[in-house]
Formats: sequence, C-alpha cells, structure tokens
Amino acid sequence: MDPSQILTAILLTPLVSAAIICLFLRRGGYVAAAVSVIAAFVILVLSFYWLFNWDGMEYTCGDSALTILQFGGFEVNIGYLFNYEAATMLAVVAFVGFWIHVFSVGYMDDDKDKGRFFGGLSIFMFSMLGIVLADNLFMIFIFWELVGFSSYMLIAHYWDKDFAADASKKAFIVNRIGDFGFLVGIVWAYHFYGTADISAITEIIHNDPTKAIDGIGLLLMCGFVGKSAQFPLQVWLTDAMAGPTPVSALIHAATMVAAGIYFMVRIFALLTDFTLDWILWSGAIMTTFAGFCALGQTDIKKSLAYSTLAHLGYMASAIGLGFPGLAIMHMAMHACFKATLFLCSGSVIHACHHEQDMFKMGGLFKKMPITAIAFFVATLSISAVPFTAGYYSKDTIIASSWGLYAANHEGIYLAAFILTMLGALLTALYMGRMFFVVFLGKSNGHGAQHAKESSFWMTVPLIVLGWILSLGAGWFVQNGLDGTWADGKMTALIPTDVAHFMVDGFHGEHNGWEGAHEIYEEAHAPWVEYISYACIIGGFAFCWFFYGRGAPEDRLQKSAPGIYHVLERHGWFDDLYDWYVAHVQQRFANILGVLDLLLISGLAVRGTASVAGLVGLVCRSLHVGSLHAYVYWFLLGVLIFWAFAFGIL
Amino acid sequence: MDNTFINYLPLLAIVIPLAASIVLCWGKSLGETAVKAIALVGFILPAVIALVLAFQFGDAPRGDEGYAFLTDTDLGLQSSVGISLLLGLNGISMPLFVLAGVVGLAAGLHAIQSKAERLPLYLQLLLVMQGGLMGVFASVDIFFFYFFHEFALIATFIMIGIWGGQGRRSAAMELTIYLTLGAMLALLGLIYLYISTDSVSFSLIELRKVVASQPISELVQKNIFGLLLFGFGILVSLFPFHSWAPRGYAAMPTGAAMLHSGVLKKFGLYGLVQVAAPLLQAGALGWSELLVWLALGNILIIGFVTIAQRDLKQMIGYSSVMHMGYIFLGIATMTVVGAGGAVLLMVAHGFSVALMFMLATAIFNRTRTYDMTEMGGLGPHAPLLSGFFVAASLASVGLPGFANFWGELTVFVSLWHNYPWAVAPAVLGVVISAIYGMRAIARVFYGPETELFKKTAAAGNIRDITMGERIPASILIIALAVIGLWPQSVSRDINDAVEGIEAFSRPSMMNHAEPLADAEAPAANTEDTAS
Repeated sequence: MDPSQILTAILLTPLVSAAIICLFLRRGGYVAAAVSVIAAFVILVLSFYWLFNWDGMEYTCGDSALTILQFGGFEVNIGYLFNYEAATMLAVVAFVGFWIHVFSVGYMDDDKDKGRFFGGLSIFMFSMLGIVLADNLFMIFIFWELVGFSSYMLIAHYWDKDFAADASKKAFIVNRIGDFGFLVGIVWAYHFYGTADISAITEIIHNDPTKAIDGIGLLLMCGFVGKSAQFPLQVWLTDAMAGPTPVSALIHAATMVAAGIYFMVRIFALLTDFTLDWILWSGAIMTTFAGFCALGQTDIKKSLAYSTLAHLGYMASAIGLGFPGLAIMHMAMHACFKATLFLCSGSVIHACHHEQDMFKMGGLFKKMPITAIAFFVATLSISAVPFTAGYYSKDTIIASSWGLYAANHEGIYLAAFILTMLGALLTALYMGRMFFVVFLGKSNGHGAQHAKESSFWMTVPLIVLGWILSLGAGWFVQNGLDGTWADGKMTALIPTDVAHFMVDGFHGEHNGWEGAHEIYEEAHAPWVEYISYACIIGGFAFCWFFYGRGAPEDRLQKSAPGIYHVLERHGWFDDLYDWYVAHVQQRFANILGVLDLLLISGLAVRGTASVAGLVGLVCRSLHVGSLHAYVYWFLLGVLIFWAFAFGIL
Repeated sequence: MDNTFINYLPLLAIVIPLAASIVLCWGKSLGETAVKAIALVGFILPAVIALVLAFQFGDAPRGDEGYAFLTDTDLGLQSSVGISLLLGLNGISMPLFVLAGVVGLAAGLHAIQSKAERLPLYLQLLLVMQGGLMGVFASVDIFFFYFFHEFALIATFIMIGIWGGQGRRSAAMELTIYLTLGAMLALLGLIYLYISTDSVSFSLIELRKVVASQPISELVQKNIFGLLLFGFGILVSLFPFHSWAPRGYAAMPTGAAMLHSGVLKKFGLYGLVQVAAPLLQAGALGWSELLVWLALGNILIIGFVTIAQRDLKQMIGYSSVMHMGYIFLGIATMTVVGAGGAVLLMVAHGFSVALMFMLATAIFNRTRTYDMTEMGGLGPHAPLLSGFFVAASLASVGLPGFANFWGELTVFVSLWHNYPWAVAPAVLGVVISAIYGMRAIARVFYGPETELFKKTAAAGNIRDITMGERIPASILIIALAVIGLWPQSVSRDINDAVEGIEAFSRPSMMNHAEPLADAEAPAANTEDTAS
C-alpha cells in the first residue's frame, strides 16, 4: 500500500468506529465496545505494519496534501509528516491506546452507557492520531481542539454528578485558555514564515536561526501549557479524575497530556533559548511542587494525577535542557508505567466497589496478585529504580541537568538539577506510600475485604503494560541502536524505528538519550547516580516506617494537619481561580450585563423613544382648542419672525 | 441570456412559498392535513431547488460578474426607473440561498408539527418569510433585494405580535422601531448610491460596471458607506445597536426566531459584502477601522454580557450578537480572506443559531422554564436531545468538524495583515464562548436534578427528542457537519466570487507578509516584527 493510504487508514479507522457507534449503536452495549476495540486493534496492526515496513526516510505528502479550505492565498491542508518522532508517538498511542481499550471492556462491565463511552474513546484516538500525523500548524490545531472535545466528553461520562459536570467544563475552558495563545501564535507564525508547514518552518529556521523568535515560541507554548497541564493551567488535570479510570489512563499516558510534549518536540526548531529556559523553569518547579501535592491526597487517582503533573515536569525539563529525544523517551516510558498505575488503580477501584480512598483499602496484594505485581513494577519504574523503564529516561534527565551545569556553570541548570532530584525523592515517597498503604497490611474497608482479582480483560493489559513494558521498555538504550534483532527491526523490546528518535534525537543533532548521557559522562560525577539511589531507598524506607503497611489513616494528616492541608489544597490554585471566576469575572460580566440593559436598552433606546414621546406631549398640549390661545401663539410667532427679520435674534 | 428551465428555478423558489401561503387563506375549508401538506410543499420545494442549483452552480454558464441562472422579468418599472426583477446567483449569494432554503425547511418542519394556535395563519406568515428570504438572496436588482427583506420583516413583526412569548409587546415595539430605522438608513444609503452614479438601472451588475468606469468621489463614498454601514449594522445588531436582538428573539415564536436569526439577519451582512463594499471601496476603507472597534465590542463586551445571562433563550440571542462581531471583522479587513471567511461564517452561523433556538424550545417544552439556574439533570432523561444540544453548542463555540470553526479561523487569519493588534482580542472570543457554552450545557443537562425539575419530571413523563424535533435538528446538524468536514464544498464558490471583486484586494500593511518559502527574504524583516 501507498504510505499515504496506510496513514489515512490509521487516521480514519477510529473516526469510522465513532461514527458507527454514534449513529447506530448508542444503546449498543457490548457491540459498541466491540466496534471500538476492533478499531483500536486495526490501528495497532496497521501502525506496526507500517512501522516495520517503513524505510526510515521522512515521509511528507508534499503537493498531494488535501486542501480542505482555500481563500485567496490562505490554505488549510490535511497532510502527513512522518518521521522518527512521529514513529515513536504513533507506536505509543496505538499500543497503549489499544490495551486501554481492552481494559475498558472489563472496567465498564456494569455501566449502562457503554455506547457513549466507547464512542468517546474512538473519537479520542482519532483526535490524537491526527496530532501525531499532522504536517502543519492548522491541522494540529484542528485535532488539538478535537482532543479537548474528546476529553470533555469522557470526563463528563458520569454526567448526572455535579463533580463530573464541573470537571468537564473546567477541562474544556482551561484548555481553551491555552488554545487562545496557541491560536494567536499559529496566526503569527503563519504570517511570519509565510507557511504553516512544520518542515518548511524548520527549514527556514535552519537557514536563518534569527527567524526563531521568542514571541511565537512563547505563544505556541501556551497550547502546550494548557494541554499538558503545566503552570499556571495545571488545575484541570486533577479534576479530570471525575471520568472513568480508563479515561484517566488514556489522558495521562498516551493521549492528551502527551500531545503537548509531542507538539513542543515537533516545533523544537522554533523554540529560542529564552523559551527553552522558561520551559525548563516551569517544568523543574512542577516536578517538586506536584510531588508535594501528591502526598496530600487520599484519593488514589488524585495522587496519581499529581504524579503525572510531576512527570510532565520532567518531560518539559528535558525539552528545556535541549533534549527533545529524551523528552519523548520519558513520555513513552511514562506512558507504559503511568498507564499501568492508572489501570491498576482502576482494577483496585473496580474490585473495591468504586472505593477510591487509599486508606480504606489495604491488604490487596494477596487478593489481587496480578494487579499488585503490575503496580509494584510500575512503582519501581516511576521511581527510577535501575534497569526499569523509568530509570533510563528519568535518571538521565536529572543527570544531564547536572552535566549541563558542570559544562556551562549556569545557575538555571543547577536549579533544575536540585529540583528534579528533589522530585525524584518525592516520587519515591508518594509511590511508596501508595503501594504500602493499598497493597500491604490488612484490609481497612468493606470493599477491600471482599476484593477479588479482576477479570481477564483487565489483567491481560496489566501484564503487558505492567509486568513487561514498565520493566523493560527502556532496555534498548543499553546497546544503543546496535543491539538489534529480527533483521534489525527490533531493539530490545521495541521496534528499532520507534527507538531511533529516543536515542538519537533529531537527525544529526544528537539531542536524544545518547546526547544527554554523554553530557553527564563528561561531567565525571558518579555521585549523582548515588544520590538518586539514596533518594529511592530513603524514600521507600521512610514510607515503610512512617505510613506503615495498610494504614487506616494518613499519619501526616494526623501529626501535621497544617502542612497536610497546604498540600491537599495544592497551593490554593483552584481556590484562587474559583475566586477569580466567581468574584471578578462573573461580577464583571454581570456589571456589563446591567450596563447593557441600563445604558443601551434603557437610556439610549428608551431615552430616544421618550424624547420623541415628550415632543409629542408638548405639541399636543399646545392644541388646547381655545381660540385665545391660538391667537397668542400666532402673535408670538409673528414676533419671533419679526425679530429674525430685523436681525435681533 | 440563456432562458433554459433551470434559470427560472430561483423565481420558482420565491413564488412557490408565496403561492402556498396564498392557498392557505382557505385554510379552514381545507382541513388540517391539507394545510400541513401544502405548507410542507411550500417549504420543501425551495430547499430542493436551492440544493439543485448549488449542485449545478459549478458548471452553470456565467453571465456578468460571475452570476449564473440570470433571468430578467420586467414588471413595468424597467423603462421608467430602471427596476426589474432580475434574479441570479453568484458565489456569495449561492451558499446563502441554500442556507435560506435549508433553514426554511427546518423551521417549516418544526412549525408544521408544533402545536401553535391558529396554525394555518402561522404557517402562512412563515411561508411569506420564506418567500422573502429566497428573494433577498436571489435578487440582483438592489430594489428587490431590499423589497424582499421588508416583505419578510413585516411577516416577522406580525408573528411576534400574535405568537410572541413573554414581554412581546415591548419587545415587538423595540424591534420594529429599531429594524425600521435600520432599514430606512439602508434605504437612504441605497438611494444616495443610485443617485451618485449615472446608472440607469438598479441592477447590481450594472452598478458595478458604472462604478468601475466612473468612480464616485471618495467623500461621497464615505457618506454613503456610513449610511449603509449603520443601516445594515442595526439590522445585524452591530454593537451598540444590538439591544433589540436578544429581547426580540426571546419574544419571537420559534419558527420566526429560527428564520430571522438564521437567515433574515444575514441580509445586512450580505448587503455589506455584496453591495456596499464592492461599490464603495474607498468608503469602506475609511470606515473599516471604526468597524473593527465596534466588532470587537460585539465580541468582547457582548461576550461578557452573554456570560452573565441566566435565561437560555436570551443567552442564545446574545451569543448570536457576539458572533456577528467575527463576521464584521472579516468584512472590515476588506481582503479576499476576510470577506470569504465572513461569508462562510454567515452560512455557518445561520445553521447553528437556528438549531440553537429550536433546541431551546425543545428544552423549554420539557423543563417548563428558560431559567438555566433552575434546570439541571435533563441529560439522562433525554440523552439524544442533549447530544443534539451539545453538538449545536460546540458548533457555535467553534469546534473543528463543524462549519463555524472554518469561518472563525479564516477571519482570525485575515485580521493579521491590517489589524494585527485585533487578533488577540478577537481570539479571546473563543475562550468567552467556551465559558458560556460549556456552562449552559452543564447547567441544563448535567449535574443532579434541581427541585423544580424534579417536580416537572414527576408531573409528566419527560420524553427524549421527538421525531418532529429530530428531523429538523438533524437537517441542520448535517448541514453544519458537511461544511465542517469538507469546507471546500462552500468555500470554493465563495472564494471565486470574492476574488473577482476589486474592492477585496486591499494590500497588506505588514511588510513581511510576502511568502518566505525560500527563506531568502531580507533578514531586516525579522527584527521589525520581533520588536
């Protein structure tokens, strides 16, 4: 098949699935689920077929792109740009997305709105694949908005609940705020470069680096800040937990938040040093800030949501450090272990009859061994224990920030190093806390006492993503791109073409894992590794003793309620925004509304009408019907006329 | 001129609904079924004709100025004052003609199955509106363009008076005065325009030719355009002349609200794009800066006012006023991209706002209130209705996949060349509309049921969307989605027409706007923009 046909098929399969479900299977139950899962499977097969047969050359549609809108010189095209970063992203979306679909079948077994849910999953896949394949900024924006819509729809799944209504609304609006800057940036970039085509823009900047300007980069970054929930728009992500757990897994692992990182990598050439520093600061601070917040949650999903924020901070830091390959690598590794963690939490929540409070669980290791082992592996992986998937990417981000500091002696790299290292300690703390409290000790709640291992639909994805990939997805870096098998198609556990960008970064720029690792090696600082190990071991040990196994309550909450409260409210960001919406924005709107009624409807319109009425009234009062009065009026008129004639008036 | 049958179709599209309306005078003796059947024919045929013409439009032989299907019917005024019923369609009027046909069909279907009192009269007036609307967009002669608008408007006034909702008297009064004032200003401008040229004909084609050969002086152009801008502007609820719209729509019966907000309101915008701007280029350029400011007033000020609304129908009315701002912005740019985006958005907005008004009535029929703070939890009772409403809201909020997105995007892009400072405030509108759109969805359909809703639900069983609501809603959603998924279906014709108009070739003020595809443009440009 022709490449553009395969890519089109990959892109359209989920749309067809969503359309079928929306039109015919709204009450389809398991049939709708089957359509959606089959669509995800077709995407998976086509994607890997394409990856294994791809020659590694950058593929663009060129002139064969479909022009969907044209006014004068303004054109919007639907076209594909497929290169190594797209390959990695496609693999992540297709693979992780498919397993989340499978898991959903088991998780949603008692839900009566399966049609709406699975239709939403399909449209989510469609939107995300559009971003992955898009070759120009306008097309990215189109699918970017659709991702926002899909998440909106899925977060609102339990629509008769207040929290779901609020959370979905919040997610959509906050994303729109990011898109505001994003769209302005796109319009600027389009006019500044004369094209919205990503490879053309990259080419222009390669020929003339002065054409990368701060304004465009920062505005485009707004889109990333919204979608990837970075400061100051991070507030929607934790509320988005209102959706069913597989949706959280999808949003956090393979789609929405990853889209922001992927987009920044796509337009990496556009980002100036100033923009990169900004991203580094915000990312590094987020690793620590969100890490602390994760300790202040008792809801297992919320705690995981904060950990996603922290890890998005790591990815942003990698971009800010100048290693897009490493950022994508952490995104991919994170997709494996975060999907696992969310799916495990889903499995646990499902088994405990929708109980989400960690401190009402406990002792689930024996009852749910498959889930527990998957969670355990993913915990090790997210904490960057050596030889697990997370270790290779996360540890390299921390180490390379030290490497850059050693090479340049710039304070920002030192700050990034300290913050990301602190973030690593916090990761061990909140993950250790979660694992010990949920899975060890004895059961604390009614739900947990009767928990049973989940069904086959749910455990198979856990084994694939948790037991295997959270453990070994990163092994490919051990031998670089030399340790291949199957005729060079595979490296360690993943296809070579997928690993390529993560190891090498952009062609000839050496800004992937390898480049980052070399910077660290050059600094000759083995102690950085030792600190990391100490953080992990210290963090786990602290949790073991401080929180205990299967504890019925949070000891931090009990012993230091003030500190806990600060963490729980995560710095009062939500409260601040709520206050703004209720007291500033809404009041401003209300005042304008009143002014609109008073000044325009009231004064101007009614006023004009009453002036006309008044004139009528005065005129009518002159018509009194008395001859005397008319005579006086007549005389007055003559007098005035006379005065005019003689120039007195 | 080619006098084949197809050229008479525009005339038929006007005559059929009017004829149906006349037949309905004998409504009582015909019986209900016959009345409905006749009305149905009167609504379906114009829509079918419009679609047939749209499909034939690409290959149709073109007359002057890109008009196809031209027919000239002299009604006896030709020799004396140069007025004749000259009908035809170009790339700008063709999509709007289809809009009129399709929205008319949806409104008609909705009206036919509605339980309005004195149904035959209701349908009669709606058919008059429909005939007028088809006439507005098919007329090449400026006199008839204006005449058909008044024709439809009078029917609207009567409909508010008889079937209007709460506060119909004052709303009808305000609306009548306002719109009459706007129409008079526009008429004054049109007459002024006619006098200022040496034209012997009211035909737009003739006028364009005359103006091209003997341009009107710039001062006169500015005066005329000012009259037309405010005349048409009032009809389209240009800020600050908008206050009639939300209250008027709230008081209108559903069918009239759909037709007026969706189609008839586009008369003013259409007049600006098709008549005023092409004939009065210098005048339009002189006023464009002010127009940008007023349009931003529509978007930002009315946007915030929309956020403050609690009444669903008022909110839709205000949001419609707000969206007019984008269209004005597109026109103000006086470029092909801007005008094209404006026309596309006119079409898109027409479909979406008609759908919104229709669904608002459907919601009211279930909740017995328009107050959004008293609603909540309708979703699980009426999942399909909520699906339609969510789709309609998202379309009007500008979600890709629906037509409105393309219009808004194009307008944003077009602003850059001459009003780069206006891009950010205009784009801020997407956040504002997301706020009120999402809030409305959440309030009406999501969340737990309110006390009032529980009572209403207990009193009578609340049904999901009925067939009578579902068919018109589906027609409108499909129209939005077709354009949304394949905008070229409409934009190609619009682009051809707009590109053919001299006036929309305003040069860019931004010096770096030349395509930099070969990256060799002087580096100095970069610094200009960066600073």
